[in-house]
Amino acid sequence: MNKFSGKAFTVARHEFLKTVKRKEFLFMTFIFPVFLAGITLVPALLAGMTPSEDQSAGYVDSTGSFDFPVEVTNGGFAVGPFGEKSSTIEFVRYEDSPEASKALREGEISSYIVIPEDFLETGVIELYVSEKGVPVPRADLAADLSDIVVTSLLQDEVDEAVLRRVKDPVNIKLFNIGESGEADEQGIADILGDLGLPFLTAVLLFFSIFSASGYLLRGVSEEKENRVIEVLLSSATPTELLTGKVLGLGGVGLLQIMVWISAVAFGASYALPLNLDPFLLFLAVVYFLFGYLFFASLMAAVGAMTSSLQESQQVAGVFTFAAAAPLVFIQLLLTKPDSPLAVFLSLFPITSPVAMLVRIGSTDVPFYQIAASLFILMLSIQGVIIFSSRLFRAYLLMYGKRPALREVLRNMREG
Amino acid sequence: MTELTLLPYEDIVNRMHVVEVEGVSKSFGGKDIIRDISFSVEKGEIFGLLGPNGAGKTTLIRMLLDIIRPDSGKIRVFGASLDPAGKDRIGYLPEERGLYRKTKLVDMLVYLAQLKNVSGKQAHENAESLLRSLGLYEHRGKKVEELSKGMQQKIQFLSSIIHYPDLVILDEPFSGLDPLSTKTVKERIIEYRNSGKTVILSTHMMEQAQTLCDRILVVDRGRSVLYGSVEGIRKERGKNSLLVEFAGYGEGLDSGHCSKYGPEYGTGIGTVYGEGVNAGANSGVNAGGNLEADALSLLRGISGVRIIVEHEEEHKKFVEIFPEEGVSTQAILEELVSRVEVLRFEQSLPSLNEIFIETVEANASE
Repeated sequence: MNKFSGKAFTVARHEFLKTVKRKEFLFMTFIFPVFLAGITLVPALLAGMTPSEDQSAGYVDSTGSFDFPVEVTNGGFAVGPFGEKSSTIEFVRYEDSPEASKALREGEISSYIVIPEDFLETGVIELYVSEKGVPVPRADLAADLSDIVVTSLLQDEVDEAVLRRVKDPVNIKLFNIGESGEADEQGIADILGDLGLPFLTAVLLFFSIFSASGYLLRGVSEEKENRVIEVLLSSATPTELLTGKVLGLGGVGLLQIMVWISAVAFGASYALPLNLDPFLLFLAVVYFLFGYLFFASLMAAVGAMTSSLQESQQVAGVFTFAAAAPLVFIQLLLTKPDSPLAVFLSLFPITSPVAMLVRIGSTDVPFYQIAASLFILMLSIQGVIIFSSRLFRAYLLMYGKRPALREVLRNMREG
Repeated sequence: MTELTLLPYEDIVNRMHVVEVEGVSKSFGGKDIIRDISFSVEKGEIFGLLGPNGAGKTTLIRMLLDIIRPDSGKIRVFGASLDPAGKDRIGYLPEERGLYRKTKLVDMLVYLAQLKNVSGKQAHENAESLLRSLGLYEHRGKKVEELSKGMQQKIQFLSSIIHYPDLVILDEPFSGLDPLSTKTVKERIIEYRNSGKTVILSTHMMEQAQTLCDRILVVDRGRSVLYGSVEGIRKERGKNSLLVEFAGYGEGLDSGHCSKYGPEYGTGIGTVYGEGVNAGANSGVNAGGNLEADALSLLRGISGVRIIVEHEEEHKKFVEIFPEEGVSTQAILEELVSRVEVLRFEQSLPSLNEIFIETVEANASE
């Protein structure tokens, strides 16, 4: 890159201050984490606060051999300190279907089941629900009924322990074997830490790279649209403008990602028993910087080549989509982080920042791969910056029709 | 007033030049936009860069500013090829101009000044004093989009001189300006020149160019077609005729007009020595017509006159006298004074507008 000049600094400072004062920036930086926290925590909070839903279910036992309890209570599942949600199903006995149906219509019960006479042969139980109203969740009910059926059939045949095993045959406990060989029980927090955190980091990285380079795209397009660009070019060289913009908005992005990381770190220490790996955070910042430089330079070229903000955003969308690929393949990256596609995605410059971070979070990535991905990214940045500043110079003052691909390629070569 | 017509190139080089352009050409996509243009701009003058739309004026200006580079030829600004320090001494008002819509007035002006390497403090001072001088100080905290269009245009002009540059390049500064803003900007340009700075003014508004510019370059289809001082060009292009108004002629006449100069000149001959032969005079036939014939007949017999043509402009009648070759203006004036009461006597100079149209049309028919 060219030497840093005073004018590039002036541009950088202007862009930084202008963007930081923007409402969109303040919203994205401070409200977005709250919003993100909101969509994950609020349902849990709400679930914790709402009283358990008690329902009444009727039953008609045509076989006459089942022993229904008066009510069953289902333990719910929730993460964090918000307690568990439980629901109780109360069973009411009816002699025949019409009687139960009448009770259902009158709203005494929300649903009823009919156990036909040939249940032992077919295993079929009929569930009747009202068109209105919320019936008992079927999964819960099926589990409860299974228990009731197993209990009724086996209660007198086998002892208590066998009965429990038939009801609940297998419980899997997960252990991690570390490098030193000791087994380590993996709890729910670890699963979240191993899968959720890389995902969260990847999403945040993706958003911060794209919001920062999006500001750049917008800035260039706006200056082109409102024709300030020509005045700027009479004062500074295209390279100075490009450098200044990339640095200034890079500062904005860095500030944003710092706020987000602090929010995640704070939130993690408060809500989830997680340990944030400092090395991962460091890599996140490095990949942010590299990924940002790469995309910002691309966006600058796109902004310079197109003549309106709308048009530029359409073209930029193609790159954004390509960069979002790791999020599309997130499952693969999390479950098979060493598969060839995952390795490729973490090396290919457009996808590497996000993909590599996900992989690092979910597996031990060999150091040479991290080094290779950073190296490839650096080379690509160099190339993109060279081509972008050429295109920047060639197209900043051109309005009207979008340049043809061949012309763009020619300008890339000639500069 | 100013120096005469085209100077030989060597003479020009010896003067104090702010801009020198030598044999510059530029083509875009195989199309020649600028073909072998040379000119120079002297310190402390208003230099007009004239030409029809699409002639290449803006391209020429962008090359002066090193925004685009010429394919061939040399451009020197402040005596050398433009360096960053040189750029800081230039102010530029592009034809396609705009402002940051959502930025505060003062902030924007300060930013633009800082890009010219003016310190932040100085930039604030400049911005405030310029805003005061244009009566816009009270709006300094407003955003550009809150200002009226007239104010925005003044701000645009102001932004090009925010760093008090030694050279200001104004590309069509009057386009889209209301008469009041035009007047303000015009006064500023003259004021700026008078303070010893140099102004390059690109326009296709010839009336403005004629009153403002000291010297001009006319560009048409990328070629230089006319270059020199405004006075010199007008004298050179003059038909060497004299415009005369005298008592007892053209009074009380409100209709009927005779030929003007230019292409219609030939048809005007019919009126010479005539007694209202042409259509214009006929339509005004009355007692006045006879009076006029009498008045006109007074001019008969002036020796050394080739032709006399009647004119009417803005309800004023006057005659144009074409002397014979070698006859002095002085001799004709003496003859006139002895015959009639002369109200006006001046050498006819074509307007820049006429010269411009003539030149460009001649160029087009080539």
